[in-house]
Amino acid sequence: MRRDTQHVLLVLLGGALLRIAADDTYLRYVRPSHRWLLIGAGAVIVVLAVVALVRDRVAAVPHGPDHDHAGAERHVPWLLLVPVLVIALVAPPALGADAVSRAGPANAVVQAADAFPALPDGPVDLTVGEFVARAAWDTTGSLDGREVVLTGFAVRRGAATDLARMTIACCAADARPNRVRLVGDLGDVAPDTWLRVVGSVQPGSATAATGYVPAMTVTAATTIPAPPDPYEY
Amino acid sequence: MDGSIRSVTIAPPARSPVRVTSLHVFCAVLLVAVLARPLLTDALSAPVLRTAATVFVAVCVQAIPFLVFGVLLSGLIAAFVSPAALRRVLPSRPAVAVPVAGAAGLVLPGCECASVPVARRLIGQGVPDAAALTFLLAAPAINPVVLVATAVAFPGEPRMVLARFLGSLATACVLGWLWQRLGRVEWIAERARRAAPAVSGRGRWAVLAETARHDLVSAGGFLVVGALTAATLSVLVPPAWMDALAGQIVLAVGVMAVLAVVLALCSEADAFVAASLSMLPLLPRLVFLVVGPAVDVKLIALQAGTFGRAFALRFAPATFVVAVLCAVGAGLAVLP
Repeated sequence: MRRDTQHVLLVLLGGALLRIAADDTYLRYVRPSHRWLLIGAGAVIVVLAVVALVRDRVAAVPHGPDHDHAGAERHVPWLLLVPVLVIALVAPPALGADAVSRAGPANAVVQAADAFPALPDGPVDLTVGEFVARAAWDTTGSLDGREVVLTGFAVRRGAATDLARMTIACCAADARPNRVRLVGDLGDVAPDTWLRVVGSVQPGSATAATGYVPAMTVTAATTIPAPPDPYEY
Repeated sequence: MDGSIRSVTIAPPARSPVRVTSLHVFCAVLLVAVLARPLLTDALSAPVLRTAATVFVAVCVQAIPFLVFGVLLSGLIAAFVSPAALRRVLPSRPAVAVPVAGAAGLVLPGCECASVPVARRLIGQGVPDAAALTFLLAAPAINPVVLVATAVAFPGEPRMVLARFLGSLATACVLGWLWQRLGRVEWIAERARRAAPAVSGRGRWAVLAETARHDLVSAGGFLVVGALTAATLSVLVPPAWMDALAGQIVLAVGVMAVLAVVLALCSEADAFVAASLSMLPLLPRLVFLVVGPAVDVKLIALQAGTFGRAFALRFAPATFVVAVLCAVGAGLAVLP
């Protein structure tokens, strides 16, 4: 690959990082705190490429290829075009129902505590992850009889519908799902539909036998547009 | 000596007006891709491909900033740290230099993508191979960010942090000593040994920029190879594996070691995944944490690109075996 082609490729790569960090697109792939890493890296890549372009012009450098690699390895830099094209043309969506189904029917929960702080009064908004953790581990029963509001997307479990949300630590590659079994008349909900459901936990439903998937009696469910931030952290 | 500017001193072949260059190919590829966009979007509408595409972009987007950090550090070393200065810092006996390089890994807060270009630059500046490779393995595994992440992921098990630290440091040092005894100079590609030109003043900044740019282009393509592999395997590996493992510790250790290689998680995030596999005992999860930062598909691709295929073919399997043994040893010694 010629030097000037490499420079153009780097400008596109840096531009792609800056582009997804400019709006909420990056939240499909990494956690919010990575935004500044992406902006920094994108800017550095563009600067490195522009500096090299200008220096090559000024020094009237011939556009020879880099003779660093032999044989097929010479062509490997071309692969940098793949993420650029995938981001620019497709921008794949956040992980959804397919990834949840792929991970199996059980929740992979970590027991972080066995007593949780009491919830505030009134209907309370919880993350799906916290709902599952409280349902599975809380010995004080802080969820029992409480009206909670959960936001997540629909996933099929046979004929029934689960509510699910992905939790990520760093990027979507380490995502792990939390599911909640919805009990109630929801009608026919297509997978990946985002829902806001109101209801309460069925006490004792999140056990090893159910794969730590709690059941929730739903009193109201509304379809909502996908939130800008699709994951929990 | 022409060092890292060798690439610009090679005269191009005589050009006729119709010669097709990579820039033309590049523009053609872009044009075709834009025109074929509906086809691409259609092709990626299958749920499994969409999941794989998301994981692919996520691995790239997550790793590139760390790779950029690594190549900048590599450029800084090339421009401002002379081989003589490095020789003064490192003990002259390689057997002692190895643990010192391992301990130096404590201070580079990056994941594994950052340490490959840095280790290559250290070799280029005359650091003994064994010490540079020890640093390569230690830096992503035992830096403070990774240890804190591990402590956060395993709140009830502080010994997991100690076991991970010991297992990873042991892996790095054992491989360093092994390389010093058995390693051959020719296994590392000659291109990795080229020193940056010695310069001073403003020339140093030019060396920094050119070294970083060059390392980024050559390593970036291999990172993409790794990300493609990890994305493919992540949708192909059946999760039912996990459930079958609960009671079988030896099998679980083996499968977790293989999973660490194929999933190619960032070393700052793998602890959270390991913590979530609560159906398994701690030992196989420790193996996952020690093997992952030392050898995974993304790293194998990066190492093959940076140090050559002959190197990766020997280093990756050796690292895998040593990491599994060190992790099991550390686990048996430290974990309850």
